[in-house]
Amino acid sequence: MEQQFQIEERSEGSATIVTVSGEIDVATAPQLQESLHALIAQGRSSLVIDLLAVTFLDSTALGVLVGALKRCREQGGDLQLVMADARIMKIFEITGLITVFPIVDSLAAVGHS
Amino acid sequence: MSDVSDGVGVDTLGVGDRVELTFPARGDLVVLARLVSSAISARAGFDIEELEDLRLAVGELCLLALQGSDAHHGELRVEFTCSDETLDISCTLVSDGPAPDAWSGGAEALQLSEQILAALVDEYGRDDQDGMVRAWLRKRRRGPLA
Repeated sequence: MEQQFQIEERSEGSATIVTVSGEIDVATAPQLQESLHALIAQGRSSLVIDLLAVTFLDSTALGVLVGALKRCREQGGDLQLVMADARIMKIFEITGLITVFPIVDSLAAVGHS
Repeated sequence: MSDVSDGVGVDTLGVGDRVELTFPARGDLVVLARLVSSAISARAGFDIEELEDLRLAVGELCLLALQGSDAHHGELRVEFTCSDETLDISCTLVSDGPAPDAWSGGAEALQLSEQILAALVDEYGRDDQDGMVRAWLRKRRRGPLA
């Protein structure tokens, strides 16, 4: 059974961790965009996007993440991605975005749990 | 679809078999094309990695066809055609309105879609014909059709 799309956020120190689950596609990416833009507008520009529970991701999702990365960096922050699934990683590899985003394979790797 | 008498199992797609899926041209329904793609790819003899590639590629194909369209207008028609070496998939936006002339996601989104398709399938393209936008792809099997 497909995991339902969900976004949860929490603050840890100076960073905001955004945990996304389910499929991020043309139908759900606008919700993610809205959430990320709202956080950045609040000055929370150090974001960690936890994609460990994401089961599918397409070009619209990539577009949202790239846009959020630019906004974070414009405000002096950054956007890190947490992912471990080879399928998800492959999409970043084939689009060259693997060299654009800071990517780690666990929240512990960025000092969070 | 083929049956056992064609020398093809009941759960497989044989040469020349064609499946068509039509649904309202809305982004939230693109998941239907991905689901059908997985089922058809498996029946057309693709392995699990190719199946996942095609699932992603079909979603991108729908995005290419939907570009610039009114999301609440028209239908998307996705056609899967099996040959002895390839699976051909086309996605056509059937709309009464004017042909879309702009990529709604912008040049960056178009580039991402094309990068994904270029990496996952053997051939792909997009054309406008008679007011209909059609995006298509061709994926070759690694092995012969069983």
